[in-house]
Formats: sequence, C-alpha cells, structure tokens
Amino acid sequence: MEITLPPVDLGAITPELIVTGTALVILLVDLFLPRDRKTPLAYLSLLGLVLAFAASLPLWGRARYAFKESISLDPFSLFFSSLFLLIAALTILISTNYLEREEIHRGEYYALLLFATLGMMLLAKGMDLVVLFLGLETLSISLYTLAGFMRARLRSNESALKYLLLGAFASGFLLYGIAFLYGATGTTNLKKVAVFLGKGAPLSDPFLFIGAGLLIVGFGFKVATVPFHMWAPDVYEGAPTSVTAFMIAGTKAAAFSAFLRIFLYSLAPLKPNWSAVLWVLAVLTMTLGNVVAIAQQNIKRMLAYSSIAHAGYILVAVVAGGELGGSSILFYLLAYALMNLGAFAVVILLGQKGEENLNLPDYAGVGYRHPLPALAMAIFMFSLAGIPPTAGFMGKFYVFSAAVKAGYIGLAIIGVLNSVVSVFFYLRVTVMMYMREPRAEVGPIYTSPALAAALVIAVWGTLQLGLFPGRLLELALRSIRPLLG
Amino acid sequence: MSIELPVFYFLAAITIGAALIVVLGRNIVHCAFSLVLAFFGVAGLYVLLDAEFLAAVQVLIYVGGITILLLFAIMLTSRASGPGVRILNEQLGLSALIAGGLFFLLIYALWKGIPALAIKVPTQANVPTIGRVLMTSYVLPFEVASVLLLAALVGALILARKEKD
Amino acid sequence: MNVLNFPILSLVTYLPILGAIVILFLSKERHEAIRWVAMVFSTASFVVSLWLPFYFDSTTAEMQFVEKLPWIQYLGVSYFMGIDGISLWLVLLTTMLCAISVLCSWEAITERVKEYHVFLLILETGMLGVFMALDFFLFYIFWEVVLVPMYFLIGVWGHPARKLYAAIKFFLFTLFGSVIMLLGILAIYFYHGGQTGVYTFDVLELMKTAYPYSSALLSFQNLVWLAFFLSFAIKVPMFPFHTWLPDAHTEAPTAGSVILAGILLKMGTYGFVRFNLPMFPESSKHFVTFMVTLSIIAIIYGAMVCLVQRDMKRLIAFSSVSHMGFVMLGMFALNAQGVQGSILQMVNHGLSTGALFLIVGLIYDRRHTRMIAEIGSGLSKQMPVYATLFAIVMLSSIGLPGLNGFIGEFLILVGAFKVNYIWASFAVTGIILGAAYMLWLFQRTMFGPLEKPENMKLLDLNAREIATLVPIVIMFFWIGLYPSPFLKRMEVSVNHVLEQVEKGQAGKVNPGTKAASVGATERHLPSIIQPTSGTSEGAPGVRER
Repeated sequence: MEITLPPVDLGAITPELIVTGTALVILLVDLFLPRDRKTPLAYLSLLGLVLAFAASLPLWGRARYAFKESISLDPFSLFFSSLFLLIAALTILISTNYLEREEIHRGEYYALLLFATLGMMLLAKGMDLVVLFLGLETLSISLYTLAGFMRARLRSNESALKYLLLGAFASGFLLYGIAFLYGATGTTNLKKVAVFLGKGAPLSDPFLFIGAGLLIVGFGFKVATVPFHMWAPDVYEGAPTSVTAFMIAGTKAAAFSAFLRIFLYSLAPLKPNWSAVLWVLAVLTMTLGNVVAIAQQNIKRMLAYSSIAHAGYILVAVVAGGELGGSSILFYLLAYALMNLGAFAVVILLGQKGEENLNLPDYAGVGYRHPLPALAMAIFMFSLAGIPPTAGFMGKFYVFSAAVKAGYIGLAIIGVLNSVVSVFFYLRVTVMMYMREPRAEVGPIYTSPALAAALVIAVWGTLQLGLFPGRLLELALRSIRPLLG
Repeated sequence: MSIELPVFYFLAAITIGAALIVVLGRNIVHCAFSLVLAFFGVAGLYVLLDAEFLAAVQVLIYVGGITILLLFAIMLTSRASGPGVRILNEQLGLSALIAGGLFFLLIYALWKGIPALAIKVPTQANVPTIGRVLMTSYVLPFEVASVLLLAALVGALILARKEKD
Repeated sequence: MNVLNFPILSLVTYLPILGAIVILFLSKERHEAIRWVAMVFSTASFVVSLWLPFYFDSTTAEMQFVEKLPWIQYLGVSYFMGIDGISLWLVLLTTMLCAISVLCSWEAITERVKEYHVFLLILETGMLGVFMALDFFLFYIFWEVVLVPMYFLIGVWGHPARKLYAAIKFFLFTLFGSVIMLLGILAIYFYHGGQTGVYTFDVLELMKTAYPYSSALLSFQNLVWLAFFLSFAIKVPMFPFHTWLPDAHTEAPTAGSVILAGILLKMGTYGFVRFNLPMFPESSKHFVTFMVTLSIIAIIYGAMVCLVQRDMKRLIAFSSVSHMGFVMLGMFALNAQGVQGSILQMVNHGLSTGALFLIVGLIYDRRHTRMIAEIGSGLSKQMPVYATLFAIVMLSSIGLPGLNGFIGEFLILVGAFKVNYIWASFAVTGIILGAAYMLWLFQRTMFGPLEKPENMKLLDLNAREIATLVPIVIMFFWIGLYPSPFLKRMEVSVNHVLEQVEKGQAGKVNPGTKAASVGATERHLPSIIQPTSGTSEGAPGVRER
C-alpha cells in the first residue's frame, strides 16, 4: 500500500519545536544538576522561550496553513503564541525564588511549564478540532501536575485533584461537543466547518446546537465562567502561587484563543444563537465574580474571583463581536496577563517560607515597609479595577466601546457597574497597604533579580499599554482580522 | 431482515443490562465486573458498525486497561469493597433531571436526523485507513499526543515518587 | 491657535507631576526638602499660569494656547489641550489653591510627608488636565486620575475615626458617575463617527454634530445628557447625590478639604457648562426645570442642614452644597448674567470655601477638635489676626458687597430673576439662611467670653499661616471691587456657549444624506483604523484651528 506523506512543513512549527526541545533538554540536564542547584534550568527555559519567540517573528509575514490545514499561521495565532511565551517567561521569572523558598525546586517544574506552553500555543494555532483538543489536554495535564507540585501541602493536593476531576469533566464536554460538531458538519477542520456553514447549510440542525452548547460548557469550565467556575477559587488558592499566576493569566488566554477561533470564525453564522447564551453568561460571570470577591479575605482567592469577573468582561467583548470586539479581547488578555502576573509577583515577594502572608490583614502597612513592591501592587490593583492611566483601563474602555458600538448598551451598563463594584475589593488591598498600621514586625523579604525583573516588566507593560496603547491596538486589530473573514 | 438486527438487540441488551448493574449494584466488585461486560457489549456494537479498530481499542483500553485499574483500586481500598455501599444520595432528583434532559435532547437530535452528515462509510477494512490518516493528515496531532503522554508520564512521576530526604 | 507657540498649558499641567517625580528621589526622612520641592513646583505652576490671562485674547470664543498632538490615532484620540474664558479662571484657581495647600500642610502633615506631597502634586496635575483637556479620552483619564490621589489623601492622612469609610465612599460614588459618563462619551463617539465617518474624541468636533433629540425622556440626546449629568451631578454635588461630600470633606486633611471644595467640585460644574450645555442644547433646555428644582432644593436644604451642625467642618461642607446649588441655578438660567455669575461663583466658592477650610484647619491644628461647642467662645480676644481673617472670609462667603461673593451671587440672582422671579426668591432665601449660619458660627466661636482654659494659651497665626490666607483675601477684594478683568475674559466664551444652546440643532451639522447611509449599513469600523485628520470631511465649514 502506497502512503504519500504530506509535505511536512517544520518551519511552520519551529517555535513549538523549540519549546518542546527545550523541555526535553531540561529533563535531561536536570539529571546532572545537584538537588539544590536548579536555577540554571530557569535560564535554560527562558532561553528557549526567547528563541521560540525569535523563531515566530519570521512567520508574521504571510498567513498560511500547514499540516493539511490543521494549523494556521495567521497574525491571530502568532499574537497569542507571543502572548503565551511572554506569560511563560514571566512565570519562570517569578518562580525561581518561590520554588527555592518552598523547597520544591525541581527540574520537572520547568519542563511541565514548557509543555503547558506548548499546549497553549497549539490551542492558538490549531485549525483542527483534534489539534485543539490535544493542545488543551497537553496544557491541562501539565497543569494538573503543577497544581499539585507542593506535595507536602494538603491544599496543593486538593487543588490538583479538584482540577484534575473537573478538568477531565470539562474535557469530556468538549470532546462531546467536538463529536457533535463533526456529526453536524462532517469535518473537524475549522476552516471546512466555516465553509460548510457559510454556504447556506441548514443552521437549524439540532446537532449543531448541541455541539456548540457543549463546547460553550467545556470552554466555560476552562475559562471559569459562571456557572462553571466552582473549581476555580479552590484550585487557584491551593496551587503553588507561581502556578496560580500562570493558570490565571495563561489558561484563560489559551482557552479564549481556541474559543474565539471556533466561535468567531467557524460558528460565526450561528452568532445570533450563541451570543444570546454568552450574554447571559457574561452578566452572571461578571456579577458573581465581583460580588463574591468582595467577601474574600485571602488574596489568592480574591484574585481568583477577580479572574472570574474578568472572564465576564471578555465575554462582553465576545458578544459584541466585530473587529472592535475581537481586537479588544486580544488587548484585554495581554493587559490582564501583565497585571495579574505582576500582582502575583508581589504576592510571592511578600510571602515567607511556610507563611505565605496571603490574608489581607497581612498587607497592613506594607506600603511603608516595602514601598516599591507596594507601589507596584497598587498600580496592578488600580489597573485591575480599570482606573486610568493603566492597561486595565484601556482594556475595559475598549471592551465597553465594542459593546456600545454593537448596540449592547444594557450589557455595557451592567459591565461598568460591575467594574465599580470591583473597585471596592481592589481598593481594599491599597487600603490595607497604605491606610492600616503594620502588624507586629515580620521578617525581611527576599527578592531576586529575576523577580524584580518580572515586576519591572509587568509595571512597565501595565503603564505603557495604559498610556500609549496605539500600536498594540493596531496589532490586535490586525490579528483578529483573519478570523472575521 | 438481516442477521444484524437481532445481534444488535442482543448486544444492546447486554450493554444496558450490565450498565444497570454497574450503577445499581450494591457489591462494588460485581459492579466492576459488570463494567467489563458493558464494555464488551459496546465493542460488539462497534463491530456491527464496521469499526473494527474502535472495537479492538475498546477492548484493549477499556477492558484491558481501565477495568483492571479499577479492580486494583477496589482491592487496595478494601473498606469500600464490602457490600451495602450507599448508591443514591440527595442529589438524585437533580441529576435525574439533567440526565433525562440530555437524553431527550439527544433523542430529539437523532429524530430530526443529520441532513448535513455525508460521511462516506468506508467499505474496506478501516484499520489501514486510520493508520494512513494518522501518518498523513493527522501526523501533527499524532506527534502532539506523544508529547502529551510524556507530560503525563513526568507528571505521574512527580506526584508518585518518594521524597528522598 | 496658540499665541505663544509654546506648550504653556502642558508646562502648567506637568510641573506639579515633575515635582512629584523629584520628590520620589528624595529620602523620605528629608521632610523640609520635600516640602520645599513641592512648594517650588506648585508655585512655579502657579506663576507660569499667571501668564495665561495676560496673553488671553478676550475677543474670541475659540480655544487658546491650543496644543494638539496625535496620541492613539487608531481610536481617534489626540492629546488636545486648550482653554477658553470658561476654563481660564478655573486653571488659575487650581494652581493658586494647590500652592496654598502645600503651604497649609507645612506643619499639619508630619507623617508620611513624602507620599503626601507626591499625591498632592499628582492631584494638581489631574485637576489641571480636567480643565484643559479638549479630547474626551484625555479628559476622562484626567478625570479619573484625580480620584486616586484624593482617595489616598483622605484615606491615609484623614481624620482617623472614619477616614476609610469616607475615602471609599468618595471613590465609589464618583467612580460610579464617571463610568456612566464613559458610556455617554462612547455613545456620542460612535454616533458622530457613524454620521460623519470620522471617529474622534475631539470635543470640538463632537460638538458640531447634532444629536437626535425628541421630547421623549429617553431620546438619544436626553439619555446621553443624563449620563453626563450623573457624573457631573455627583461631582458638584447636586442634591440628592451629595451624601459623599460631608464625609469626604470632614474626614480629609485640611489641604484635602481645600482642594475638594475649592477645585474638585468645580470639575462637576465645569463639566456641565463645557459639555452638557453646548453639546446637548435641546436636552439642556429640556431639563431646565429639573435642574433648577434640584439646585433650589440644594440651596435651601444645604443651608438648613448647616444651621444644625455642631461640627465646623461639616457645616462648611454642607454650605458647599448650598453654594454649588447657586452655581447650578445660575448656569441653568441659561442667560449671560446667570452663566457668567455661575462661572465667577465657581471661582468665588473655590476661594472662600477653600479659605474657610483653611480657617477651620488652623483651629483644628491648635485644638484638635472641630466641634463648635468644644472649641468654645471668645477666640477673637486671644487670636485677633485669626478672627479678622475669619471675618473677611465669612463675609465673602455670605456675599457681602465689596467682596467677591456678592458679584457672583448678584449675577446669578439677576440671571435667575430674568427667567423666573420665583427661582430668584428661593435663592434669596438661601442667601439669608447662609448669612444666618455663618454669622452664627462666627459669633459662637469668636465672640463671647474667653472661658476655656485651653483657649487662653492659643497662639495667633504665624507668618506662614497668614501667607496661606492673604493671597485669597486679596482675590476677595479684587473680584469684589473690580471684577471686570474676570468677567471680560469669560464673556465671549459664555456668549458662545449660550449661542450654541440657543441655536440648538440649527447651529449644528444635521445628519447628512451621505452620512446617514454610512451609519445605517456599516457594522464594522471602516474608518476607525485610518488616522483621523484634524479636519473632518463630513462637517462642512470647519474652521482651521
């Protein structure tokens, strides 16, 4: 039997190959490093990420498909790939110190982080539902392990188990949805799905609706939209802080990248149907996330609920759709990643071994004992709350512009009111830091150049995107265009 | 009427019957063994649908792998293996509602038919076809799956290995 | 048009923040140095701003000292600053009061001096930006930036008892209003863009478009008007949105109260006269009765509440509610006297209430209480200079002829009377009540026997403290005796606004035939991505600025 191999276009997946290769090299080098000297692995993985980013630059030229149209090299996927590489790099920068302090500095951490990054990149590039699913699983499986990386701590185990169970559940929904979509359209290729639906196929096919509905449920779990958010606070709280940062910033962006490709691109003809569902989800997600966040005393839990709320804002933009809505999502995810990673960097910085200082009262008086980290934290909090001149403000401005433009005034009003509510709990952090007297003296904080670098990058990015967002907005617009046809 | 129909009913009855025992049985070991039977039934259905590859995979993975794992788990956690395990809880109503709703949705979808689905049912043996597709169109997912397994392997090691200090 | 060919407005705006940056590099132990840097930079800003009235051309209603640079071209956002006769005096008021605020904090603030001055200077930049920005996006950013330092000033250096509550209440109230305004801004942005094909946040461009109006409450123009109204009314604050004000004013440190009452509240009234009136003329007329009713309620209610206050600071806070009611009443008389009086009264109120808070601050620094009963009576015997200055400030506040308050209130009353004598009569009631509570306050603290032992040892004002009040007192007399330099410079701009209100839609670009089809069919933003040039093709007759 003759097998004609398709042209294997390795050039199209160079960044992914580099990331995978680095992960494998790390696993090998890890064997030769003593137990307490794992820091070179962090630099090795940073190098890999930078190389992968460099390798992705030449791909920006002409949009094309590769591997029989199962992956797409368009500005959309490249924008997200770069975002994921940035998130991974920042995560590594904030990790080393933390891992050493908590005595869980193992080489596999970096390898798994890179595997997760690979999964995210495939989620952004995948043009075929099979690729998307495998990307998602690569991401998820790495994260299950990373969430449980602090084996000695019960919370971390709980987090890993919960994430595994609910993640598997979500994967089940996704797979079921993919199967239905396949049943309805006869293909798993998103381009062919789009063509199939675009040429006037009957859009009332119940299989299509069930498929789309199950996909919404599956992705809803992954990005933690209400009512599929139950796992998020526990998992985010229990996981090692650096992993939580990675999950909050990275997983959300990755899941949204795939979600956007499926819904804005392939299922665009069904928009009237799914946007109604997402309208409801957006309102529920924003409102519940913000309202419940008010009651949180643990900063990781608070940021977890805040991340739920932010997923709601992004859904507003998905509902609004169009160039403005689409590009605002891209912009928002970048801004969101920067401010969250920054905030978690400060959380890590202020922690001590065994006592992570995660409760809000632990932040009392931090503004005067540690002025610079506190200033950074205040910037991130104001950014998360959407106060100018920060990236968070530009993101929200952009999202609500899209909603107003598309005529979703009600949604925009609910959104901005929610952002007012959210100010309450973000402000509370600054209240604690600046307006409360410090508690009894605690030990000094230990910083590292890597952590400081991550903080500087995050602060700089947050302010840069808030003051001079022009070029990035244009890039986001250019990146969303391929999806809108 | 071909022979297929009675065979189908037979296999379906086995599957559903075994599945009912899995859900309702009070002895967890019996449940696990019934699961094997149910998986076999499904494998039989695959064969009826000309999907020998799936049938083989079903037997290999579900019967050979997953059920054995389940039995190991039951053996190692002896407390749960005794009879009289509670099988219903207070969320019965809700889950029945959801399961029933999904059931009727699926029935409805099937009833309406799938006008769009125009997949050619392969006439020749499908194992080589799948093999070829895996090595051509789906070579990338195939390779990604190997990375996925590696990640899972590393993860399992991390979580399972003993601390040396 | 920029007569100076020099970005003087940016210089005025950013000098304070430059000072803040300098302070950031100083050691936090060097209190004196920090204070001097803050003083130098805020004074420099004031001095530079003094040039503005000299080079100001009072014969034109166009924006002057204009700076326009592209910023976020993709969204049609530009860095667009400029002032006219309406904002001119508010800018000067801001620079002056901020310099005074630094001075009055000299001894009052002893903890966290560095952070305090950084916030104060950022605050100044934000407020100046609000009065100068002619791009909605820029305006909104400055508008929100003001919140953050003010929030910290109240929350960190405020009165310990309720400062957190007051700070958060202030922040949430004003933020609530401004996000709704943001939606209003977006609505007109997209409407204008849909009509003309040019997406821009340029205030002057957006003013040229007629926004659809019908007498129905929920017509487009009315809704947007209400969105702006909510934000500005909270800031002013108008009745019934005033509840944040007594808390914030009372709990803030002296400088915070001065800035809050003196400048921050003017941001609201400025917003009305700058945006609501000329941009939505029909709606502004539509809501006249509504606005006047709220203003009159504020005047009477604010004054009545003052009569029963036992806390000096709270009393002055409520007097602001009453006085700002005057400002709003004059504005919505919609005639030249009313609006001019309204703008002048903004400045007057900034000066006199700012001075009143300084007066209270001085006694609070000495006695650490704000309760009238606890302060006791007869202070004039112990502190004659203080009592004299207090008297002048008080008389200015109640509108004694010869002082500034009289001119503003008189113009407002004339304006109101020309429209409806009932309005004017209500306002007069407010003036009488105002005189009552101020005189009562003065009499209870300054006159009478000097009984309390604590008061026996009180020191009169030192030179620095006098220096904080003297400039203000000079302004009282200047405006009170010779107001024409002030009125002359705002006259043309005010008339221009009134003209815009008068003409309404007739003076604006009606939805063109060409533009209508663009707006109806385009779902995407074809032009948003092209850099928008300053001139608009959809609006004929655009003057090149």
